[in-house]
Amino acid sequence: MTVKSRTWDTVKEGDELPVYERPVTRTTIIATAIASRDFTPVHHDHEAARKAGAKDIFLNILSTGGFIGKYLTDWSGPAGRLKKIEIKLGATVYPGDTVTHTGKVIKKYVVDNEHRVDVQYSLTVPMGPHAWGTATIALPK
Amino acid sequence: MGVYEELKAMVGEEAGPYEANDEVNRAMIRHWCEAMEDANPLYTDEAYAKTTEYGGIIAPPQMVQAYCVPRLWPPQNRPPDPLARSVAVANAAGYFGVVATTTTQEYFAPMRPGDRLSYKIKLVSVSEEKTTRMGTGFFITAEYTYTNQKGELVCRQPFTIMKFKPAAQK
Repeated sequence: MTVKSRTWDTVKEGDELPVYERPVTRTTIIATAIASRDFTPVHHDHEAARKAGAKDIFLNILSTGGFIGKYLTDWSGPAGRLKKIEIKLGATVYPGDTVTHTGKVIKKYVVDNEHRVDVQYSLTVPMGPHAWGTATIALPK
Repeated sequence: MGVYEELKAMVGEEAGPYEANDEVNRAMIRHWCEAMEDANPLYTDEAYAKTTEYGGIIAPPQMVQAYCVPRLWPPQNRPPDPLARSVAVANAAGYFGVVATTTTQEYFAPMRPGDRLSYKIKLVSVSEEKTTRMGTGFFITAEYTYTNQKGELVCRQPFTIMKFKPAAQK
């Protein structure tokens, strides 16, 4: 099986990643919480979420990481190696929200013989930015 | 001693290592990929993964924490770690609000099926009292360090929360 991956040589600083939209349902929130073994009630129990001051159950942080990793390696292809993901957290993701993923290559460099790029990404919901930051990924040359 | 001094005095406290309940395994990896809708063949396609430098599938690196979440049952009866204790100190002083503000994962050794992970948690910093739109309180940072059964570093993860007195309700 051959799978195409993006190469470092073809990437330029300023390149934008394609916009990706992920509709989030109640099932998404519960399935991702359980797949990350996070049984905190606010991620599956509506009443517990209301008591905690949220309007509904909401996406857990591990799944935010899961979404970001998927977005980055969908762009790079499977030969991309995730090195670092910084996550700044803002608005909560609720059932019915669509999470809009955007990203831009802000730096291209070589370190430890690895050809790396830094991507500034953002995951946004209707209420505002949910998560943003810089992620580092190594690409084949 | 004020609450800031009490929190500050806890910086450097460490707990662990705590062992993961499960070894890294294909079923948990596939469940993760299914929920996240991650089709990367490096995680689930053995034939493809054999052609890579790993010689087989690896877990998505950002999945590391999932192996180390405390289980539901049977109870593990761990003493509260330094982050939990700092939260209790802030609660006792009336800083009941909590919000996670930043977390960063840096990845090193890959996680392969069969690997056994463990982690330590260390309180690394406490800010002076600050006011944001959430309220007034302290930024507390703990660092998780995940290693495998060979003692190799797998992931380093600083995690920052704000403990605050909520801004007055309108």
